[in-house]
Amino acid sequence: MPDNVIMVDNIGKKFRLRTSGTRTIKSAILDTVCFRGRETRDFWALRNVSFSVRRGETLGIIGINGAGKSTLLSLIAGTKMSTEGKIQTQGTISCLLELGAGFHPDLTGRENVYLAGAIMGLSQAQMKERMDAIIEFAELQEFIDQPVKHYSSGMYVRLGFAVAVEVNPDILLIDEVLAVGDSAFQRKCIQRMDEFRQKKKTMLIISHDMRTIQSISDRILFLNDGTVFGIGDPEKMVESYESLSRRLSTKAIRREWGTGEVKITGAEFFNKNGKITDKFNWNEPLEARVSYETPARIETPVFGFAISDVNGRIIYGNNTQIENFNIPTIEGKGTISLYLDNIQMAKGTYLFSFSVHSSDHKTNYHRLDNCFPIVVEESDKPFEGYCYMACRWKK
Amino acid sequence: MFKDLYKHRELLLILVQRNIKIRYKNSALGFFWTLLGPIFLICIYAIFLHLMRFNINLPSLVTGIITWQFFAMCMGDSLHAIMGNASLVTKASFPRIILPSAMVLANTVNFLLSILVLLIYLLIVKTCFGVMILLPLIIMTQFALCLGLALIVSSMNVFFRDTEHVLSTIMLAWFFLTPVIYGIGDVMPRATELLGPSAYYLFFANPMTGILTAYRSVFLSEGFPGIHLIALSFGVSWIICLIGVVVFQKVQVRFGDEL
Repeated sequence: MPDNVIMVDNIGKKFRLRTSGTRTIKSAILDTVCFRGRETRDFWALRNVSFSVRRGETLGIIGINGAGKSTLLSLIAGTKMSTEGKIQTQGTISCLLELGAGFHPDLTGRENVYLAGAIMGLSQAQMKERMDAIIEFAELQEFIDQPVKHYSSGMYVRLGFAVAVEVNPDILLIDEVLAVGDSAFQRKCIQRMDEFRQKKKTMLIISHDMRTIQSISDRILFLNDGTVFGIGDPEKMVESYESLSRRLSTKAIRREWGTGEVKITGAEFFNKNGKITDKFNWNEPLEARVSYETPARIETPVFGFAISDVNGRIIYGNNTQIENFNIPTIEGKGTISLYLDNIQMAKGTYLFSFSVHSSDHKTNYHRLDNCFPIVVEESDKPFEGYCYMACRWKK
Repeated sequence: MFKDLYKHRELLLILVQRNIKIRYKNSALGFFWTLLGPIFLICIYAIFLHLMRFNINLPSLVTGIITWQFFAMCMGDSLHAIMGNASLVTKASFPRIILPSAMVLANTVNFLLSILVLLIYLLIVKTCFGVMILLPLIIMTQFALCLGLALIVSSMNVFFRDTEHVLSTIMLAWFFLTPVIYGIGDVMPRATELLGPSAYYLFFANPMTGILTAYRSVFLSEGFPGIHLIALSFGVSWIICLIGVVVFQKVQVRFGDEL
């Protein structure tokens, strides 16, 4: 038996976005007769995506909204056709792209279960055997013979999940299911997914709940802008997702200006082990390495930095001039390092700003405000505010 | 395609049951509601034609309306065969052709029940039956026509928003181009005068003309102008069915994107 149950080979999915209105027979005829083209815009929801999933593996799929996660699942489920590339799957696929989406409101829960089963290729006799387990899992004993339009949304989702799991497919696709239902039901779902894993079944899960997905996945696929940003170790992927979403969430208060005589081309943060990261712990040292570029020779530039909270309020700022660190000249490419010996800040996300200006403060060469987020994980002291100052008490 | 349908026969069966159930649910009179429509139509046309001083042959009118109703219902329902199941189409992968097929089959069940009622009526008014053995062939041909058109209409409705309006106009014209409320004998003399002998071929190129004529010949032993004309209508029906299947299979891969 071959080991890979899902093989995704360099797939791409193009959507054609019509910019002007909906398509009608009338407009189609008019367009043909008048030889006028329709304004369309191509949009690649996925491009050059390749990966494979082994039998019995649980693959988590993460990414910000619009990264192409759901499109990827519907391509694997076969409800959409890829524009390029190939997908091969083995075994029956049960998919929870939307829980209970195929249910008809006028039919009873029981009738809908038979329908859902038939869609996944199970006979009525086979579904009858599973009916008790489904009713029990969904906790719908009294309601199973009621039309589902009378169901609460929780009941609806419970029934949808129960059916999808009980049909016992080889591959289970789950799209953001854990976001619905109360916590008791969520626990039950996760427990059921664990059982599913133990049975050596393959699962693909989309979720924005990083803690859950990290604990349940064997590997995580991180999609961004329709391409694979990374695939592998759950912890690493979740970390890089979180750092990306931090950068994106602070986009609104980012600012950049300056004459451009010197350009700050980037900044990287290093922890005590010299590893690049944007996660730091209480009292840990931080090194920020700022790279710059200047076409002409610049005399006595001043580099500065500031730390702000997520709303852009400055907590602390300082520069080379204040600290009497004199830089005679700079030219071409180079880096300058800032060392903070111990970060004594409250738990949270902070934004670094870097700037370079002339020593008389008259010319701003380049400023990048709130562009570089870091996160401080744990704080030993639950003090108020952002910044800790050593203090003593006496009585 | 037939292999697909056979493999998913359970799904097809359940969908047919669902279609029938939903239609009759919440109505105590159930099936008789679907009879009420044709009965009304029959009354209206009978009174109208009588007032206009046309000769009306009531059994012929009843046969015409009931068989037309099967066709019209299929066309009307086909608008929703895919669109009304959008959540199924986007959620699960199964041969999409099952959806329109189930809809036409459900309407066929309904039609068979109507035929029973029609037979009872014809027994009461004591018409003389024709070659009843041909009835299954005629029903199968009408089924093929309905399926072919339903496949085309249901997929068009996915891509074009005004399919419904275009369809209702076409159906109205089609109704009057088909000898439902009149007999072929009433129009043919004048039509041949205008168009020559090719008028018959034009008339029977409309598949519903041949199908209706065949029903009337079987139920009422009405005469008809020639077996080759009926064959023309039947041939057109099966060709439409074939075209429908081919077109549908070609465009169905895009349903997921459009819905």
